[in-house]
Amino acid sequence: MALKTRTQHTLVDPTTQPIPTSFSGAPRLKDLRGKRLGLIDDSKPNGKELLEELTDLLKDRFGVSDVVYHRKPSASKPADPEMVARMGREVDYAIVAIGD
Amino acid sequence: MTATGMDTVLAEWDDVVEAIEKCYELGWTDGLPVVPPTSGRVGQFLDRAGRPAGEALGSIPERRREVTVEKVAANAVMAGCLPEYMPVVLAATEAMLDPAFNLVGPSSSMGGAGILLIVNGPIVRELDMNCGNNLFGPGNRANSTIGRAIRLILINACASIPGLFDRSVLGHPGKFSYCVAENEADTHWAPLHVERGFSPEQSAVTVFACDAPRSLRMAATPETMLAGVADVASSLGTSMANSGSVGDTSAMVRQGEIGVVVAGTSDVWDGWSKADVRDYLHPLVRRSLADLRRVKAVPGEIEPGDDQRYVSLVPAPEDILLVFAGGAEANTCAVIPSWGPKVGSTAVTRAVR
Repeated sequence: MALKTRTQHTLVDPTTQPIPTSFSGAPRLKDLRGKRLGLIDDSKPNGKELLEELTDLLKDRFGVSDVVYHRKPSASKPADPEMVARMGREVDYAIVAIGD
Repeated sequence: MTATGMDTVLAEWDDVVEAIEKCYELGWTDGLPVVPPTSGRVGQFLDRAGRPAGEALGSIPERRREVTVEKVAANAVMAGCLPEYMPVVLAATEAMLDPAFNLVGPSSSMGGAGILLIVNGPIVRELDMNCGNNLFGPGNRANSTIGRAIRLILINACASIPGLFDRSVLGHPGKFSYCVAENEADTHWAPLHVERGFSPEQSAVTVFACDAPRSLRMAATPETMLAGVADVASSLGTSMANSGSVGDTSAMVRQGEIGVVVAGTSDVWDGWSKADVRDYLHPLVRRSLADLRRVKAVPGEIEPGDDQRYVSLVPAPEDILLVFAGGAEANTCAVIPSWGPKVGSTAVTRAVR
């Protein structure tokens, strides 16, 4: 008896794949002394408090020459792109806090 | 990719049950059986759509994914749609990919939103959609499969896979399918899409990220029904009655939109326009600061007078989405709280083309 051959069908893939985007990271800082700090608060509870505490620690240990702070309009929204661009120009490093 | 330009997968089967099982193996379902998206069937849907297969309808940038007409067609086939439903599914997809809807929020959040579709205009009759009895329930092919197509698009094309990017703590049954139409013929009220800037001759879909509907039975007068609606809409524990996760805390709570669906007979509402209903209802959807503080929805100790200080849970009367639909047998309403703060996701209406 001949082997039964199964019928081939073409399905359209309903899924998507992520589209990779190019990314170039800033060079790592060699030390934090006197550097400009950016803070992004996701607007969830305690995010701001965590960042404030961290800022105090950084000021004590390394000195911070300037602070740029951004609170997101909603935890589920991305940070304001204008603010991100500004931080790109005006700070040396940035810390993002996720509260709750 | 094939010569047709579509992303395809080759599969083998000899009967329909094997075909359905294959789709389970590929991880493409919502847990229920799907119609296999064969290239022939998807082609019919693309022909009916009359738009290029590769046309991007929008993207979910946080997941770096783009949704094309072809992906919508494949998922609509799987959901059990007919080709003529494509314009509605496409419009709903465009609406939920509008930046104001901020799909990444409701499609990933622990809050477990469903995406409610409210369809208006001539397309409702053309597709024989249900705007009457059992509005949120089963029984109508267009309502059931258009709503399901949106969930399959979320899972397959937007990566809102339960347990992966979809982090719902509970979710709700509307996450399988959540699609209704407004009964424009039996009310003197302006249709939802007309209130939102479209003409009555146009068809449109409104998408709203929200909880499950809560039905209410009240005596059939506007004031009694709206008292019930206000009571439920002012419940503790909704997203709107919580603080946190919003940048602007001046309102004390998140505040969100609410959906209100009114069934029954229109004569109960003689002398009331939709705007009248909203204006009457809006000041009643509130909670005392004492109540909110008692359950720690708002931080801080209760202070003297807090039981007389009220916090509005909805930003403005316009943020109440009012729809006339459901069976005519009883003057019943449903309240549908939003998934999150309005700043996190706003209802969006798009024309059906």
